[in-house]
Amino acid sequence: MVEIGLEAEIAHPSHSGSYTVDSYGRPIILPGMAGVVANARVGDLVFPWAADHLEPGVSAGNPNRERYHALQFLSCVGNVVRVLDGPAAGALGRVTGKHAFVLVDFPRAALDVLAPGDRLLVRAVGQGLRLLDFEDVAARSCSPTLLEGMGVAVTGDGRLRIEVTAEVPAFMMGAGLGMSSEWANCDVMFTRREVVERLGFEHVRLGDVVAMHDQDHRYGRGYRAGMCAFGVVAHGGYGGIPGHGMGVATILSGPAERFEIVRAPDANLRRYLELAD
Amino acid sequence: MSTATINESELLRTALVGDVTSPVLGGSPYDVSADGVPFVPVGAGGICYTVEVGMPAAGWAADQVEPGVSIANPSDPANEALLVYACVGNRVTVRSGAAAGATGVVTGKHEAFHAYKHVLVHLDKDALDAIVPGDRLVVSACGRGMQVDGLPELSCHSLSPDLWNAWAPQRRDAGLRVRVTRALPPEVVGMGSGRVSGSTSVALQPGPADLEHLRIGDLVAIHDWDASYYTGYHEGRMTVGLVSTGDSPVLGNGAATTILLSGPTSSFEFVEDGAANLADLLGLA
Repeated sequence: MVEIGLEAEIAHPSHSGSYTVDSYGRPIILPGMAGVVANARVGDLVFPWAADHLEPGVSAGNPNRERYHALQFLSCVGNVVRVLDGPAAGALGRVTGKHAFVLVDFPRAALDVLAPGDRLLVRAVGQGLRLLDFEDVAARSCSPTLLEGMGVAVTGDGRLRIEVTAEVPAFMMGAGLGMSSEWANCDVMFTRREVVERLGFEHVRLGDVVAMHDQDHRYGRGYRAGMCAFGVVAHGGYGGIPGHGMGVATILSGPAERFEIVRAPDANLRRYLELAD
Repeated sequence: MSTATINESELLRTALVGDVTSPVLGGSPYDVSADGVPFVPVGAGGICYTVEVGMPAAGWAADQVEPGVSIANPSDPANEALLVYACVGNRVTVRSGAAAGATGVVTGKHEAFHAYKHVLVHLDKDALDAIVPGDRLVVSACGRGMQVDGLPELSCHSLSPDLWNAWAPQRRDAGLRVRVTRALPPEVVGMGSGRVSGSTSVALQPGPADLEHLRIGDLVAIHDWDASYYTGYHEGRMTVGLVSTGDSPVLGNGAATTILLSGPTSSFEFVEDGAANLADLLGLA
């Protein structure tokens, strides 16, 4: 596999200047997207934030459209990111997810001083990754570092053993269906607290690996009975508009019978990528 | 039981401009199908002579084929207004070109991710043959602000009084009895969650329900789905949409469906009727 350097910069939050509407019919203006979120990081709970599309840590973009597309499609979860300028120059982080931006976790000392406009370099490697004994399983935006960190084992009956903290039913999959597998993520439509509680997702954390049932995320994202997809929880918050919610960035997809799903409360990128505090 | 009434006398009629579009492609002409096969998408944008409202949604060598004429306003904010204010069933007049003076009807809306937003118009065959991309159409928009008398919990979108009167929902004790061709489960919605209900379409993806014999123009109900403001899962609520394009080979995509009506499930009683199709209701075929 080839590793290449991609130019990025911390994106500044932007706003349309008008209200959106939440699932209770209330007008909302909430933060969450773009910039630097210093107090919500991978490993923290997904929901208890007054936020819409809460992107933990740093949101990396590129003002040039073509370069942005390269950054968005080629970056993989687990890739190393280096700060190139500003007071945090030299700090190292890891790609932890995708949304409208590539999401990066840095050590707390760096997060405290990073700001929109700071330049970053993503060392992108992972697109093109194949599991040689599992040709019917597609890896998407999954770096070799992540796969290794997850400790994916092959079971005695020839299946991939994947640890997850939660399993998502197909009817909850929202914005992100129909898009490319490598693009951003797919929202699980948790926009009301009562649904989070009814389906038992209060414990889910940013960076968790989750399974998505009856989902085919090999060539795009959509419903297909008997297929399964796995992803990492990329963005959160309670406050989203309907049809959005908890974002899950695709990393693996294939026939359900090719996987053994194991519930593990610590199936999280903080452990898998050994993210520094 | 009698036909439910709406606030028709309160509704404004406004003029909005849309020009006939032309298809657009990216740097590579290939999209990728659900099975990983590259294909060239054809059918969205411009003028389609082959497919019209009332025809099957499936069976075309196409990706979300737009029946008839596809229009948009070249100014983005004006196009947003065109999309929000135009309603299915509104009258359209051709203002320029060889088909000037011809009239047609709005049949739906089609939003593509990070790409175009189109309003779809049915014209008769002579006008279709004469019209070309760039010709200007004027939509006589009426329907935004519609409310069903006595049922404030219902949200109306993209629904004209003309279509309402032809569809003729019946008033019953707790709500409406409406005709649809079929009722679908929530996971049928692919691309289109989280969008502004009044201006968008949502895709009906294959798999969760039998979409065989689905026709462009069909009215369909979606369970546990809300479109009061934005589109999304919401148990105990329902949405009625109108199939506006053909289906799609792309995973998570399918026939684009324009939002008409949304509200609590308890406010609806559905009657399945194969003739609950725009072409039949407005005599367009």
